[in-house]
Amino acid sequence: MPVSDIAASDIVETVPSALLVLDRNLNITSANRAFYQTFRTSADETEGCLIYDLGNRQWDIPALRTLLESVIPHRASVEGFEVEHDFPTIGRRTMLVNARKIFRPGDHDGFILLAIEDVSEERAARKESNRNWQLTQSIVDTIRDPLVVLENDMTIVTASKAFLTIFGITQAEAHGRRVSELGQHQWDVPALRHLMEKVLPENKPIEGFEIEDDFPGLGRRVFNLNARKISQPGNHAHRMLLVFEDITDRKQRERDAQTLTNEISHRIKNNLQIVVGLISYEAKWTAAPCVQGYRAMQARIGAIAHLYDLISQSSRGRTIAVDAYLGEIAKAVSASLGNQSGVAILVRAEALEIDPDRAVPFGLLVNELATNAIKHAFPGGTGQVVLSVERIGDEIELTVADDGVGMKEKTLTKLPEKRGSDYVAIFVRQLHGTLTVSGAEQTGTAIKVRLPLLLVPAGGAEPLAA
Amino acid sequence: MAVILVVEDEIFTREIAEMMIQDWGHQTLSAGDVDEALLFLRSPRHIDALFTDIYLKTAVLGGCELADIAIKLRPGLRVLYTTGNFVTDKMKALFVDGKHYLSKPYTEQQLHGSVDQMLAA
Repeated sequence: MPVSDIAASDIVETVPSALLVLDRNLNITSANRAFYQTFRTSADETEGCLIYDLGNRQWDIPALRTLLESVIPHRASVEGFEVEHDFPTIGRRTMLVNARKIFRPGDHDGFILLAIEDVSEERAARKESNRNWQLTQSIVDTIRDPLVVLENDMTIVTASKAFLTIFGITQAEAHGRRVSELGQHQWDVPALRHLMEKVLPENKPIEGFEIEDDFPGLGRRVFNLNARKISQPGNHAHRMLLVFEDITDRKQRERDAQTLTNEISHRIKNNLQIVVGLISYEAKWTAAPCVQGYRAMQARIGAIAHLYDLISQSSRGRTIAVDAYLGEIAKAVSASLGNQSGVAILVRAEALEIDPDRAVPFGLLVNELATNAIKHAFPGGTGQVVLSVERIGDEIELTVADDGVGMKEKTLTKLPEKRGSDYVAIFVRQLHGTLTVSGAEQTGTAIKVRLPLLLVPAGGAEPLAA
Repeated sequence: MAVILVVEDEIFTREIAEMMIQDWGHQTLSAGDVDEALLFLRSPRHIDALFTDIYLKTAVLGGCELADIAIKLRPGLRVLYTTGNFVTDKMKALFVDGKHYLSKPYTEQQLHGSVDQMLAA
């Protein structure tokens, strides 16, 4: 059935808006069902009644009087006139009133049709939303770190006070701009753009992206950027929260500490050079059989000195990379053998870190075992020594293995060089480890030292105590 | 046998190094900083190699700067650096071509090996 065939009275009774028809004296001539339902009244109480007298003068509202007496007489229609009123029966209501003058043929006085829409709930929701927004904004403004909320297209929706202060812009200037356009385009970094483009579609947060640059009015600054997707319940649109943490001071402290560490390492190594030089000088005037002892002493000092290089390289300044440390010791032992040596020293180590307190006995132990292997395993002058470290359960196994002549059965229980083995025993005890020797004649020797988990995986947390 | 200019601000370390180098049959010239070293390098004296510490007194990269000038003054001069600092890639980039370096503390054998390598290169 076409809409035009439907009777007007049916439409009037169906629409959700409350409808009222008033005569020129503002008496109600009729109302629809929506009106009676919304305002809890009936046709008997309503029809023929002056609108202001309706329901014990509930409708005697100043705003409505203004509309009916001052606006309507001068205009054919009014739309969206907002009236807010406390009705004794239904409570506080906000209504949007549309009004239109209606003239029938031959009737000069005409009628007024009022369409009243109750928008109380919508207005309350909007107020609640505004209150929530203001609360969120005030929380955002109290956060010291500058932060912005970005749209899908990377433009700024809102920015915190700290952000506006730091970048010297207003909320209006920030709104709708891309982060890459701010300042002197310091944030227009391809790597950052690439990461930001993944935050929303892939829900992949950005954590700790560092940018160091000269910022107008701020000077040289280092910022740490963190970003994550934020969603509102019931809303399909997603936005991104981008936080700028100013880590300039922390970075400077780290750099100062690194400079100091390097300076101390440099001085210690120069002083150890003097000690090594003193030993060289003594060795020069010492009888040949004793020279070997002096050289062993220099190698031990070297093993300690290499730690300082590794401390300088350590990003956390607290732990030593075991693989790098073994590499340095291997290099030093190889160098002490001279260029013509037929003995190769190899390193096979897992990426583990050791705490500096235990690094000294650990390095000295490796140096001692490697030196002993070189000294005793290769009467022919050729072969290889492998230094390896691996994690086995809750323990660490250090192995120094050679492919040399091996040990005689009876010497297996007793390490070859007396003083060297004394040192080995002391360092193993210091590290709370246990030592085993395996191998037989012609098959080489493997010395294994099991240590408690005093080593930690690379990038791990605090070293575990032994 | 070679003539090696030894540049080291720590006198004891320098003298012990010179003593070792002389023991191997070489001749040494001794300088405590960049200026003293440049006096030798600008003189008509024959010099085969420069063995220099990198951190010289207040000059953090004094040895690197010295080697740069030395190579310009005497192309083909061999250079062996030494330092108590960790040698970073940034520092290595400052080394002259055909560089050799030796970390401190170095032993007699390690210095001997490095000097031989440098002279043989």
